[in-house]
Amino acid sequence: MAMAVFRREGRRLLPSIAARPIAAIRSPLASEQEEGPLGVRSISTQVVRNRMKSVKNIQKITKAMKMVAASKLRAVQGRAENSRGLWQPFTALLGDNPSIDVKKSVVVTLSSDKGLCGGINSTVVKVSRALYKLNAGPEKEVKFVIVGEKAKAIMFRDSKNDIALSVTELNKNPLNYAQVSVLADDILKNVEFDALRIVYNKFHSVVAFLPTVATVLSPEVIEKESEIGGKLGELDSYEIEGGETKGEILQNLAEFQFSCVMFNAVLENACSEMGARMSAMDSSSRNAGEMLDRLTLTYNRTRQASITTELIEIISGASALEAAK
Amino acid sequence: MASNAAVPFWRAAGMTYITYSNICAKHVRNCLKEPFKAEALNRENVHFSISKWVDGKAEKPILRSDTPGV
Repeated sequence: MAMAVFRREGRRLLPSIAARPIAAIRSPLASEQEEGPLGVRSISTQVVRNRMKSVKNIQKITKAMKMVAASKLRAVQGRAENSRGLWQPFTALLGDNPSIDVKKSVVVTLSSDKGLCGGINSTVVKVSRALYKLNAGPEKEVKFVIVGEKAKAIMFRDSKNDIALSVTELNKNPLNYAQVSVLADDILKNVEFDALRIVYNKFHSVVAFLPTVATVLSPEVIEKESEIGGKLGELDSYEIEGGETKGEILQNLAEFQFSCVMFNAVLENACSEMGARMSAMDSSSRNAGEMLDRLTLTYNRTRQASITTELIEIISGASALEAAK
Repeated sequence: MASNAAVPFWRAAGMTYITYSNICAKHVRNCLKEPFKAEALNRENVHFSISKWVDGKAEKPILRSDTPGV
């Protein structure tokens, strides 16, 4: 809601800036005299007053958005931190292999549905493109799965042929595991992959977000890797209970790992979004304040100048009358 | 242990482990007593829209939602 108001406000402001490029601030005297009706000597302060009013309104909106983001951040931050416990055991067991070389990679890019949150969406897109370049090649295929409206808009421009799925409106209800697991299930059923690379912003603090890549391998690749040895070689030292084969266990594990990692990634990204929006709105309300100060100064100066002019006119008129006597 | 015998069946039905575990989780939630049960069920709302892309174009999005009336 607040964002819509802000956008409307912005649109109303823009043409007035474009029509009189900062002239209202720099040289109010010159521009006003040109615009005023002929024969009127007093300087109109209307334009500056209107701009002050709109800047003040924008400041109010950005302040309100900052408050909203701050309170949402507090709610989601605790959940994001708690959800870290979900993927950590998987990384301990299966490892995280960002450098693995496979035929079919799927890059899952997480972004927000709404804007006004700094650069977090463009950083994930940048990282996803870098991953695309790293993994694409002859006989190798990279597809994108895009979560969120913003990354979709950016990716649509240059890599729309590589998009396999896009997901939006994830943030309508508070994020929960059931939702993310249904999403993970849909992704698993609709794309073929050897490795899923999930790109998201990991939340460090309100001002620091690290673009992060989490890799989830398909069960076949895990099996192959563990036979070769290396980090996954220890997998054989685990004892498997029950009548399942290693392949079945690995398939179940990989699927569950994906949904857990997705859950954490979605939460971390939502958290980063709120943090980024908070700091963006903070700086924009500060900028609005600075602009308001400048405009107030101009306004007062203009007012004073017009008073001075009027005084001079009266005095010189009076003295001219006196001299005529 | 009881679930081990069921593995081939839910796999054969085209379910992934995620679906299977979700169904199990739903059953566990249904075992809760009242104030907690409604709370737990309300918490787990699914809502998102997903669309497949073919040849650089998005197909009609499919809405996955349990919220009635959306």
